[in-house]
Amino acid sequence: MAEKLTIGVLSQIRSFVRDPVTVVLAVLLPAIVIEGWGQAISNMPEMPTVESVPIELARIVGATLGVALVAGILGLVMIIGARSADRRLVVVGYSPSTVLVSRLLTIVGITVVIAVINFGVLSVNVSAEAPFLAVVFLALSGVLYACIGVLVGAILPRLFEGSLVIALLAMMDAFLSGESPLAADVPWWVEYFPLYHPKTLVQDTMLDGTYAMGDLLFVLGYLAVLVGLALFVFQRTMAVEGRWLR
Amino acid sequence: MNEVTQESEAEFGRKIISANDITKTYGSRLPFTRSVEVLTGASINVYPGEIVGIVGENGSGKSTLMKILVGVLDQDSGDVTRNGTIGWCPQETLLYDRLTVRETFRLFGTGYGLDEDEMTAAMDDLADRLDFERYLDYRVDHLSGGNRQKVNLGIALMHDPDVLLLDEPYTGFDWETYQTFWDLSEALVADDISIVIISHLLQERDRIDRIYELKDGTLSEVEN
Repeated sequence: MAEKLTIGVLSQIRSFVRDPVTVVLAVLLPAIVIEGWGQAISNMPEMPTVESVPIELARIVGATLGVALVAGILGLVMIIGARSADRRLVVVGYSPSTVLVSRLLTIVGITVVIAVINFGVLSVNVSAEAPFLAVVFLALSGVLYACIGVLVGAILPRLFEGSLVIALLAMMDAFLSGESPLAADVPWWVEYFPLYHPKTLVQDTMLDGTYAMGDLLFVLGYLAVLVGLALFVFQRTMAVEGRWLR
Repeated sequence: MNEVTQESEAEFGRKIISANDITKTYGSRLPFTRSVEVLTGASINVYPGEIVGIVGENGSGKSTLMKILVGVLDQDSGDVTRNGTIGWCPQETLLYDRLTVRETFRLFGTGYGLDEDEMTAAMDDLADRLDFERYLDYRVDHLSGGNRQKVNLGIALMHDPDVLLLDEPYTGFDWETYQTFWDLSEALVADDISIVIISHLLQERDRIDRIYELKDGTLSEVEN
């Protein structure tokens, strides 16, 4: 199990870093989102029902959105792009859970790197009160969306349609969750959007240096449910009768 | 009385693969799509040390049948019994494009449960026999179609399976590799390994022990 997991993770990492376009996009895209989102949201006009958002806060939301969006799409692409080869791997003797866990571990590693880069870009304009925790919570936002990407990829194995689902969810999430000019009087269920609590965690650690344990527990519970669902769906879709084992 | 019940237990035990009355229909719950009935009662038995060919027109369901025999696709009804380890060489090269050939053997070899020495020995032997040793450190997506197919076949063979299921295995092979493939097949059969080859055209009928034709969803043995 440990050997298969190690080989699986190493293979995933090699596959990822050997595609320079993906690497460049994964690094550059969130940086562009931080500034783009920051400028777009902070420049919204103040109106009776719409409050202006300080540019620092808008950049923090942009960083969270950027990490989540890239990690989500990476999760989706990793599952869909290797679906057939993964099935062959399961037939030769890897369990579906080993294949999925190796993918998730790889995505977590990549997401941490993306979160660090985003934090670096964000730090140019916004100073963090608790930098380490801010990076951890940024990465957590990405891991949540990576799991959503994996789940969507397992249920809907189509790149275009799956990317639309991830992108639209992330955009709604960024607009409606937490501090946003459009977030006033949102319905109660918006609290269950994936970024609702992670955004609060990132904002609080960036601006105040503190965080609420309730938010963190909510996020960890959310993550556990997503991983469980992803494992369940992946195992169902990868189930095979035959084995090539000796 | 059907074929299975007529046979003795001992004879049934000799079968490496036995499939009876396999049916498969590709359906869809979406509107404006239609179901396609691919297999309507296909039966096949494979015995140790024989080469079995399965022929049929494009779209006759040969690859579907093979996936069911391998176990990666569920049949709607019917039984498949497998008595031994299977080596599957799918029609499409199901490999990871950005891994090197060496890394690919290591990844799949670990799945088969081979240790480091066994993996290296199997890879070196197959690379030598199928003539891809100079490409061991090339990425799979940098290989030609024929060389990719050699690696695809090598992965199916590296754990010394009891039966090899090959779906159009020599697509992209040059003449020399094609001959090597048949030499390798004869050597495997001499070691009592069974081979099932799917093709829409079998040029080398004299090398095949039995040939089945897949037509209208059923298999019938044809004179070789």
